[in-house]
Formats: sequence, structure tokens, C-alpha cells
Amino acid sequence: MSVAIPLPPRRGWLPALGIALSCHLAVAAAPSLEPPDPIQSVIREACLTCHDSETAKGDLDLTKVPFELGNSKSRARWTHIHDRIEKGEMPPKSKDLPPEKRTGFLKILGAAIHDADLADASANGRGPVRRLTRVEYENNLRDLLELPHLDVRDKLPEDRDSHGFSKVSALLDMSRVQLEGYLDASETALAAAVAGDVKPTPSKLVRMTGTDLFPALTTYGEREAMFFARNGRMVPISNAQLQKMTPKQRRDETLELALFRSAAWPFYGYPRGFRAQHDGAYRVRFSGRAVRQMRDYRIVPAYNPMPLSFRARQPSGPDVSGDVRETGGWMDLQPEPKTFETTIRLKQGEVFEYSLLGLPVPFIRTDGGFYYDFPPMPRDGHPGAAFQWLEVEGPIPSQAWPPPSHCVLFGDLPIRPATKGSRFSVEVVSENQARDAKRLFRSFARRAARKPITEETLQTYLNLIAAKLKDGASFTESMMKGYQAFLCSGHVLYLSEPAKGAESQFAIASRLSHLLHNSSPDKRLRQLASSGKLRVASTLHAEVERLIADKRFERFVEDFTDQWLDLRDLRRDIPDNRLYPEYRKDDYLVDSMDRETRAFFRAMVRENLPATTLVDADFTFVNDRLARHYDLPRESGSAMRRVSLPAWSPYGGLLTQASILKLTANGTSTSPVLRGVWAMEKLMGDPPPPPPKSVPAIEPDIRGATTIKTLLAKHTESKSCAACHARFDPVGFALENFDIMGAWRDRYRGMEKGQKITGIDRAGHPYTYYVGAPVESAGKLLNGSKFENVHELKKLLAAEPRQLARNLLNQLTLYATGTPVRFSDRREIEVILDRSKANGYRVRDLLHGLIQSRIFLGHDE
Amino acid sequence: MNEPMKPTHIATTPLCRRRFLRGMGVGMALPMLDCMTTVFGQDATRPQAPRSMLLISNNLGVLPKPFFPSNEGAQYTLSPYLQELKDFRNDFTVFSGLSHPAVSGGHSTENCFLTGAKDPTGSGFRNSISLDQFAVQSLGQQTRFPTLNLGVNIDRANRSLSWTRDGVLLPAEDRPSALFRRMFVQGSKAEVEQRLQQLKERGSILDAVREDMRGFQRRLGANDRERLDQYFTSVRELEEGLHAAEEWEQRAKPSTDREPPKDILDKAKFFEKFQLMLSMAQLALESDSTRIVTLMVDAFATPVFEISDKEKSGTGYHNLSHHGQSKEKIAQLERVDHRQMQVLRELIEQLAAKPAGGRRLLDSSMILYGSNMGDANVHNNDNLPVLLAGGGFKHGQHLAYNGANNTPLCNLYVSMLQRLGIETDEFASGEKPLSNLEMA
Repeated sequence: MSVAIPLPPRRGWLPALGIALSCHLAVAAAPSLEPPDPIQSVIREACLTCHDSETAKGDLDLTKVPFELGNSKSRARWTHIHDRIEKGEMPPKSKDLPPEKRTGFLKILGAAIHDADLADASANGRGPVRRLTRVEYENNLRDLLELPHLDVRDKLPEDRDSHGFSKVSALLDMSRVQLEGYLDASETALAAAVAGDVKPTPSKLVRMTGTDLFPALTTYGEREAMFFARNGRMVPISNAQLQKMTPKQRRDETLELALFRSAAWPFYGYPRGFRAQHDGAYRVRFSGRAVRQMRDYRIVPAYNPMPLSFRARQPSGPDVSGDVRETGGWMDLQPEPKTFETTIRLKQGEVFEYSLLGLPVPFIRTDGGFYYDFPPMPRDGHPGAAFQWLEVEGPIPSQAWPPPSHCVLFGDLPIRPATKGSRFSVEVVSENQARDAKRLFRSFARRAARKPITEETLQTYLNLIAAKLKDGASFTESMMKGYQAFLCSGHVLYLSEPAKGAESQFAIASRLSHLLHNSSPDKRLRQLASSGKLRVASTLHAEVERLIADKRFERFVEDFTDQWLDLRDLRRDIPDNRLYPEYRKDDYLVDSMDRETRAFFRAMVRENLPATTLVDADFTFVNDRLARHYDLPRESGSAMRRVSLPAWSPYGGLLTQASILKLTANGTSTSPVLRGVWAMEKLMGDPPPPPPKSVPAIEPDIRGATTIKTLLAKHTESKSCAACHARFDPVGFALENFDIMGAWRDRYRGMEKGQKITGIDRAGHPYTYYVGAPVESAGKLLNGSKFENVHELKKLLAAEPRQLARNLLNQLTLYATGTPVRFSDRREIEVILDRSKANGYRVRDLLHGLIQSRIFLGHDE
Repeated sequence: MNEPMKPTHIATTPLCRRRFLRGMGVGMALPMLDCMTTVFGQDATRPQAPRSMLLISNNLGVLPKPFFPSNEGAQYTLSPYLQELKDFRNDFTVFSGLSHPAVSGGHSTENCFLTGAKDPTGSGFRNSISLDQFAVQSLGQQTRFPTLNLGVNIDRANRSLSWTRDGVLLPAEDRPSALFRRMFVQGSKAEVEQRLQQLKERGSILDAVREDMRGFQRRLGANDRERLDQYFTSVRELEEGLHAAEEWEQRAKPSTDREPPKDILDKAKFFEKFQLMLSMAQLALESDSTRIVTLMVDAFATPVFEISDKEKSGTGYHNLSHHGQSKEKIAQLERVDHRQMQVLRELIEQLAAKPAGGRRLLDSSMILYGSNMGDANVHNNDNLPVLLAGGGFKHGQHLAYNGANNTPLCNLYVSMLQRLGIETDEFASGEKPLSNLEMA
């Protein structure tokens, strides 16, 4: 990404053309504003025809751009000029600047910018301190307080982002609202860390059987959606009958709960009578099987496994209040009954409901009343699940008591029940408050700050604690206040640039851990930083390997793909039900797409795959649903498995994964422009310049379904459009073979013209759409290479491994350091590329290269 | 449970909507606040300074042609869109030829609507203080909330009308239920005491971190100091806020007979969300919970949405705004814009019906409606559509400024600031009040 865009001119170094000669002396009198001669003469000869003060094409008047490379704004401006000329975009007619002159010009200008930029970076640091993002702050608190499920990010405002990246120093501001968020978040986190009682909360076991397995006797969607059964046959139970039953009859163990719909609205299907009494983890064991519902509510074993999860939520009926969270992971019920065990996380007062994945929701009928109709029965019957019994036990207590989170704050000091009026349930007993306060606070602050703190700092907070104690507050209350203050201080909130001296070790440790674990350094990293060994190349290499192998590396996979690839936008648009009835409410498909891309990227790093894998590969990760989506041989179960792709499959490489194709469409139509821009910016590192003024955007019209290519042909008719669109439109054309969810298509769908297609969708809704014009996927890249389809396009893109690798390095640099690649970083990037070339630009090699570079480690050499 | 359930997710009928608007009303819980007594107890014959403003922007604007009147002055002919407001012709002024100088760059201008900060796409761009924050800085905190910053369908991370002096985004609230709770739901005595205790604690926490951070700052470079300055500003502003919050915490909240609203999560219910948020803004002004409200209608972030009970937009709002001269899209946009004008009309009607200090609430409240987009189809940021209703100005005219060489929109903001009693001749790019916008 690039943030360098020209600024309005401030002062000029060249007078307007025409009076240039007469004013030459004046220019010479201010040498700092005037470029050295080879640069000046090239500009006079090749640029001023358009970029003088009279014409000032593109708002650029080169006579008024000061040459003050020590000034960052001026440097950004000249960098922009340098880059346009380097790319051959300027001057528009290449004969206006012959190759040897161009090379000489770029060399001199490049060297001047490089030197000035390097001087600035080594004097002032490569970038400013960076505030933690809210995700990082939450992770820091989770790791510091040993509360792996702490949930405080919603107490902080969302962070701004630039092209998807929220780890950008320049955008991570501080305001009173932000600071108040830290006060709230730290208060909540600390309260959660203190022991909730002198003894662990006793765990309770509840076992459900028979009618207790469901909160009601029916659910929305008629009888087919849910019933009780015995020996494979439905057992009708009315409310009146239920009232008359004895508790034993209600819990009849020979009854099964049979369920055939998804948990989407309207639904509430939680076991009867259970509610979490406390926040925490609960163990769920149950027996279930995958079934098919045949005519007359008969159930028989299924042919395929049935994936299932649970959803934690408030017990508020079909209309949800509060959040709904999937919990407990995905499990696959098999045709034979089997016992499953999982751990779910609930908040106080919550229930958990069955969530069968990939099943339809009933059709809401409004013709003649208002009711929920079940879809017609498929040939093999309705897929579903049957449950025999279910147990829930919890909250699962901590192995040790007080829990580890409490010990982070209060060590091994004894606890007793708190006196009335305290905010906490326990009181920590200290025999020597001043000594304990100092000891506990020092160790806490050192971990929270990710580095040693000065005595001066320590004293400030000890004074705060002492004042509170003097006020008559308890030891617990007083310490908590000190901790809270520290968690809102700059020591915790800001990451600094590795500078010179011993401090840099800690800055590097933090930078590394926030890159690969999105959180504070672990114990080993802290020790290495303390002993000053982290900069030793072999040690650093080993540490990176260790962090990549750790399970917390998952945070990097998730956060980096969210930011770089826009994966966090995957669920932004819901497929248009009229055009794409087959995707109605198919959350399972979308969740599977998400897992595929994360698994693929994880493999790229862990298996050190070549950067070209981004655009082409002979494998991917699929489960049952995704295999179907990709027309691959049938797979069984919900787990993502690595599969080899047949040569005809277009799904190798990140570029054509369903997740990417979905998030670059809008749920209704696809746009070659948007997909092309995404591919060029995110994968090829060639972002488009902002659109010129007064040019309307042209978007395909869903009803037309015939003329997308002719519509976009207008981009090539006008020169000013073509200059940019020729870069990305063609890439987008090759991707037109994928619909809004990434399934292959040869023809467009529309609502008006073409061949009429009608049917009943999986939720029972009738649909009509039209299959129209064929997709035209051929195109020509800016460099003249032609392709017929996406397969050929991939080969062309994969033929640029260095550019793919360079872009990945640029994206990683921004993510890791909060500052985009600077001009003076460019040589460093090329050196990393040179080193990884022989081995084929592999992703983990690139990551190591970046981490071992000055860009990452700072200027302490 | 097998009987048909109430379809709560189905669009409310017009009857529901009307009833809900009528049902809105605010009463005062005892004891009355000092400042309210002065406001409401004032001599009705004395001209009273407007005390509030509501600043609304839709970041995709409206179609210019059916919005702007074809002729100017007091005798102007209502444009097709303004026909929707015809009953209140003398309660608003429509402006043309206004824009922010050097604020161009398509959608990037949306965060500058109330700031006028120049060149939002330039390298090193930094936003500047917004009109609402400037006003509250000059007036001081007179109400429970210095300002309220609201949003509809808003991308809270990246968009807001409200920006601090350091150019830091102040996030918008998009949940009516949370607003309602903050404005009207009175905590128990124990809760209030707990909150007061918390505010006191926070005061001393802020003192401690400020002291500590001075030392921290000494060890940093020049680039970093700028970042740390934001921190110090935040500490100071938050402390000031704590003092005010402490005072307000001890006073009872106003009461209302309005039912607590339910949040609408579905972004497709764009107009229902817009109406609901406007009703919250109106409640805030009526109850004097605040005197300054901003509301960004984030059309850009609005996917396919319901234009009426019978019509859905063909594409997302942004895509629709790039109509590319397609007749069907333009026709649909016109229906969207008309509906928007109807929503505004309802607001004006409500404010005109509410008494305040012997006059109408409308006369003491300035309602600004506009956009950073002059013509979203072509990413144009000149000739912005702007309406000002209420606030005791001499309305009923079309003030037309030069369409080729626009007058700074911030001149209007200067007029509004002066109307609030703030003695200033400039704000951002505004250098003087609009000359022909007079007090009634």
C-alpha cells in the first residue's frame, strides 16, 4: 500500500516557464530548494511541457515543488515523482526520456532520496511509537493475567484502518474516549482476575434425557423440523400429555430428540432447565447420531456424517438479545450413535443450543396466515441428527486455587472472605503491606510493560497505592487501583521502535511477539531480552521458528489474513436469494471458506511454500461442503483436509479461493474492477492510484447480464481511464468465471433475460432466475501477455515470483512495524529478495529475512 | 410454541411508526436541574438564543438536479425534493454554491464535513476539530453530555462527523438502546454512589499516569512526542469530563414516557434506523441531555436496503449512487431521496410541535442537513446540498452562491456558532458569517 500522495505545492524551486531564464539567479540564490542539475535538466526537458504552472496537469506544477529532501513531505513528493518515472508511467511518451537518461536520472534522484530518508530514519527512528490495537491490548491482558478467554475488546473503540491494516502507527491515535476505554477495559479485566471466592465454585452436573433434551415439543418449521422418536418412529407428545407425565416419564431414556433444521432465526433449541450460574467453561458430553428423516417422520441412519456445534446465547426465545457465539468446535455425528465430549464457554445466565451445520431454515409463509413451512423432502430424506442423552458439567474449576490469574496479582498471599461493601469477594491478607505492595507491583509492572521499569516509575504507582491504603481502603482495593493505573499508562499502551542500547532488546522482543503472537513476549523471549542475546542471528532465527510452531501463532494467521486479505469482511454481504437461491442461509459454506484460507496461509508459512503459491498451487484444504462447492470428489466430515487438486480445477492458489471471490463481490453481482484491484493491490503489490475526478464508476447491471465487457470497454476508450484500468480490469475478467460465492460459472445469471430457470430452493422457497450471456474471461495484461482464462492468468502471475515476494514483504513490513516500507528500506527489501531467490522465494524464508533486517531490528549497528 | 409467533422482524406498519413518534415526549423528574429551570422558566417575550444544534450528513448526498431549486431568493420555486418540506417552507433555508475549499477526493471527504480540513487524500493528512467539538469547547459543558455523536449503519472504526482538536476520531454511537439508557435510565442509589466512587478513583489514576508519563516522554524522540501529546490531551480532557460527570451523576436524570427503543441490527432497514436515530436525537434535545448532536448517515456502508415496504434497492447504496446515468437507477435514487426528505420533514414537524420556553423547540434548535458529496455519481465535492432549518433565522429562501466559485461552507458554520452565542468570526476555512442569512 502506498500513503504517499502529492501535496498541494507550498513553495517553488522553479519559476514558471517563459520567465525561467530571467529568474535563474533567484533560483540559484536558494540552492536548498533546487534539485541538483541532472535532475533539473531532465525535468525541464521531459516534464515541464505538461507540469508547468500554466498547464499543471494532474494538479502537478513541477516548478513549484521544493527540493528539500530533509523535509518528509517534500521527500514523499519526490518519491512519487521518482516512482512514476521508474514505472515508465511518466513521461507518457517514453521517447521523451530515453532509457540511458532515465536510468541516470533515477539513479541520482534515488540516491539522494535514499540518503536523506536514511539520515532521517537513523536520527529519529524509522517510525513513531505505536499504540496497541484493541485486539493486541486484549491479548496482552489475556496473557498477562492468564485469562485466555477474557473479553474486553468491545470496551475500546474500533481502530481505524488503512487498506485493511489496523496496525498502522499513524492511525492509532489517542483520545479521551480511547483512554476512557482503557480505564473500563482494565477495570473489567482486573475484576475478572481476582479469585471469585475463597474456594472454587462447586461444579454441577446435569443430565438430560427424553423431553428434557429440548425446551419445547415442537419448533418453527412444522413437525418435520423437530420431534421426539422411539425406535426410529416419531412419538407425538402434546402439551397436555406432558403436563400429566411423571418426571420419570418425561426423562424417558428410550426417547430420542430428532432435529432437522439449522439454528438460524427463528429457533431456540437449548436443553430444558439448564442455565449457566457463572461465567466459565462447561464440559458437555452427549450421545448422538446422524439420521435421515423419511416419509411419516421415520428416521433411519444417514449416509453421511452430520456436522454440529453449539451456540451460546441468552435464553431469550427466537428473537435473540445479546450476542450469539459458536462454541465447542465442530463435531461430526456418525450414522451410529457415539458419545462426544467438548468444552463450551458460557457467560452467567446463558444457555447453549444445538446448531446443526449446513441445514436449511424453514420457509416463512405469509400467504394465508403466517407460518413456517418445511422444504420438500429430498430423495434421500431430510438430513438431521438424533440425540439420546446430554450432560453438562461446570463451571470447570481451575486446577489450582486461587486461580493463576489471581496469583499474577497477589502471589501466594493468603485470602479470606471480603468484608461487606467490598467490590471483591475475597480479601488478600498482607502482613507487611508496603513490602508486599512493592514486590508484587514490580513484578506485575515488569511483565505488563514488557520491559524493566525505572524506580521513579515504580514509586509513582506505589504512592498511588499508599494513598489509597492511607484512605482506609483494603490492601486488595489499593493494589487493584495501582494495577489499573499502570494498565492505562504508556508503558503498556505503546510499543516503541528498537533504538540504541539495552532497551532495544526489549523493543525487539515486543515487536517479534506482537508480530507472531499478536501479544506480549513470553517468558523465554523476556529472558533473552534481559540477557541481551536476542540480536544474535542464530538465536533470533531459532526464536522465530519456536514462535511459529507455537499454538499462539494462530493469532498471527487470523489477524494478518484479516488485515491483509480483508478476510474480516467475509461475512459483509449476504447472497441475493433471488439470484442465488442455493446459498440461502448457508453459513456452513462461508465458515468453511474462512477455514480454508486460514489453513492455506498457515501452511504457506509453516511449510515454507514459495510465494507463487499465492496465485497457483496444486492443493488446497476442503471439507465435505467445500468439496461440493468446488466440484471435487466427495469428502466426508467437517474437518479441513489437504487435498491434491486435479489439473482441471481452478481452485489452486489463494487468488481463486471461495473466500476471496466472495469478499470481492457484493452478494448480488461481481465486478471485474473490484476483483482486479484486489488482486493487483493485495497480491501483486500494484495498488491503483485514486480515480481521476469527474469519471463516473461503471458497475455491471445485474439485469443486463449481457454486456459487462462492453460496459467496461469504455475504460479503454478513454485514455485517462485506460491508464489505470488496463492494469486491473483484465485480471478481473479472468475471475468472472466465479460467481459471488466462488462457484464456477460459464454464464451469467440475471432476473430478466436469458433462459428461465425455476425450482424450489433448499428452504422451500420457489425461485426464478435467468441464465444469460456467456462469461468472457480472456484478456491481456498491461505488459501485453494474453490469456484465455483463469488457468492461463495464474501461469502469467506466477511467472513473477519476485514481485509476489516483494509485495508480501511490503505487507509484512507494515504489519510488523506499523510503518510502511520507506524509501530507505527498499534496498534492504531487495537484499532479502536476493537471498531467498535461490530457494524460490519461500514464505518463511522471507519472514526470517525481514526479521533479521534493519527494517525490523532498528538502526543499532 | 407451535402457534405462529409475532413477526417482530417484519417491517413495522406506518401506523406503528406514527404512534411511536407521537408517543415520544419527555417529562422532567424532580428535582429539576438548575440549567433547565433557567431555560424553561425564561420570560417568553424575551428573544431567546438558540441553544442547540443537530448536524446531519448523508455521506452519499442526494441527486443534485431534483434537490436544488432552479431560481433563488425568497420567491424561489420549491424543487421536487423540497416539495416534501413545503408545509415548512418558512422554517428552512436551502443553500447552493457552498462547499469546503480544497476538500476534494471523493469519499475521503466524508470525515471533513464538519471540519473543513483540507486535502484529505494528501500525504500526512490530519483531520482537524469538528464544528460540534469546537462549539462545546467554547461553550463549556452545560448539559449531561457535552455532545452526542450518532451514526446510522456507520463504520465506527473509520467514519465519524466528530473529531478532536488533535484530529482524532470520536466514535459514533449506533445503538439507540444504549443512548436511551445513558439519557434516561436512572441508576439506583447504590449504583450512583458506586459510580461516584469510580469517578473519584479515576481522577487520582489519571493524576498518577500523567506524572509518570512526563518521565516516559523525556526519553522519547521528536516523532514520538507528538503521539504522546495526544495522550496528555486525552488525560486532561478526560479529567475535565470526570468533574462534570461527577456533578451530573448527583442530579436525577430526566424522565420520558417513551418506551426504551429496541436496536435494529439489520442494515437493510436503513430508513427505520435513520428515523429511530433521529427520534433519539430529538429526545436528547427535548430533554436537554445535550445541546449538540451530530449524526452521520453512513449510506456508503449500507448494503441492499428497503426503500419502502414494497421496494428494495437493486444494489448497495454506494453502487446505486454511481448511477452512470442509468434511468432505472436514477429513478430509484429519486425514490430514496424523497423518502429521506420525508424523514426530515417528520423531524421538523415534531420539533415544530414541541413547545420550549414559550416558542417552538424548532426555533431554538438549528437543524443542518447536508453532505460532503455534491454529486456522488462523479465523486464531486463541490456545490454541496445543504439545508438549515429552525434556529430562529429568517428562513424561507434559497440562498444561491456562485456555482463555479463556491463560498466556504464554514461561513455557514460561523453563522451557526454566532447564533449559539459564541463570539468568533472564523472556523476552519470560514472567515465570516454568511452575509445574507439573517436572524428572524
